[in-house]
Amino acid sequence: MEPVALREYSVTGERDRRRMSSDAADARRAAKGDPEAFERLYHANVARVHSLARRMLGEQDADEATQDAFVRAWEKLGLFRGDAAFGTWLHRLAINLFLGRRAKRAKDWERMQGGQELVEVAGGKREGLELHIDFEAAIGRLPSGAREVFVLHDVEGYKHHEIADMIGVTTGTTKAQLHRARMALRRYIER
Amino acid sequence: MTDVWTDRLSEYLDEELSASEREALEAHLPECSACAQALGELRRVAARTGALEDRPPADNLWPGIAARIAHKGEAAPRGLGRRFTFSVPQLVAAAAALVMLTAGGMWLALHSGDGGSSLAVRPAGTQGQPVSTAASNFDAAVTDLQRMLNERRDQLDSATIRVLEENLAAIDQAIAEARAALSEDPSNSYLNQHLATTMWRKVHLLQRAATLTGGAT
Repeated sequence: MEPVALREYSVTGERDRRRMSSDAADARRAAKGDPEAFERLYHANVARVHSLARRMLGEQDADEATQDAFVRAWEKLGLFRGDAAFGTWLHRLAINLFLGRRAKRAKDWERMQGGQELVEVAGGKREGLELHIDFEAAIGRLPSGAREVFVLHDVEGYKHHEIADMIGVTTGTTKAQLHRARMALRRYIER
Repeated sequence: MTDVWTDRLSEYLDEELSASEREALEAHLPECSACAQALGELRRVAARTGALEDRPPADNLWPGIAARIAHKGEAAPRGLGRRFTFSVPQLVAAAAALVMLTAGGMWLALHSGDGGSSLAVRPAGTQGQPVSTAASNFDAAVTDLQRMLNERRDQLDSATIRVLEENLAAIDQAIAEARAALSEDPSNSYLNQHLATTMWRKVHLLQRAATLTGGAT
């Protein structure tokens, strides 16, 4: 599986630039074994990583998965070359970790292959409590395959061919999964 | 609501249809209320998705991460292929800073009115491993590092050993005080976090000292 282009943080102003510079300096210190620098990197990046984990893996697994991502990042810091922003590097590392974690879930994998029923049900009747469920929680209710594609494409901004490379499927599959996810999420949008 | 165009609506939104397909779909929409409605809803899904904001976890996950990193017994991340070199003044400064941090943390913990419980921190070890496991990991890491240091003690000069022992004693005292305070208030999240951080700092100091002897790289 070929690595895909790293998606950079969008830099919108001086504050973002200072943050990236600060992260880069802390990454260098952490790579030399400075735990306080790594703790600062944790606080600066945990919201993004935890949100990714929550959306890809669900609320229940998000804390543990986030911890795993930061521990893995600590182990791999020596490989961070600074070509991309630290946040970008960390985010990509987390995506790979979470995708691997998902792959171990045999049950979810089955749901991914056989998720049609769930999506069709979701796209049918719209009455009931579902209307009141938080949109974030609704993402977590998507069948596993559709959820990862939706998060990576619509939330994280990856392209279909990038996602197809990450997951090991065709772009036809990612497009189908994305459409199913969006159709299922319509019921959670207030009208 | 299923016709030939229903499953192409996302591609239409994402501008992935060919010009002819796009033209055909746009001709179809005024005649198909179901597709037109679905397209409007998909646009709202896209707008709602674009408004998603990142939010941090409800609990502070750092103590659990710190404990796991310490347990790994690594002085530095893998892949560096090098060792630290410290002068005695550097070691003194680092150790003094650690002692100040631990002592200051204990003072805050013991003198704050509510025991620091207002801080949104989960007790150490509850992030993926129980407290007893975290403590066990810590003890194992400390035992290994101290054994390594003892074996290579003759590679350190007497001044370094003295500074190291003085500051390890201070950290041990801080750990003992934190444990004593926790025995009175086991659910105090600040104390739990402080204990985990102090334990981790001890491991880190031992790791750095071990590195001076050529071990624990």
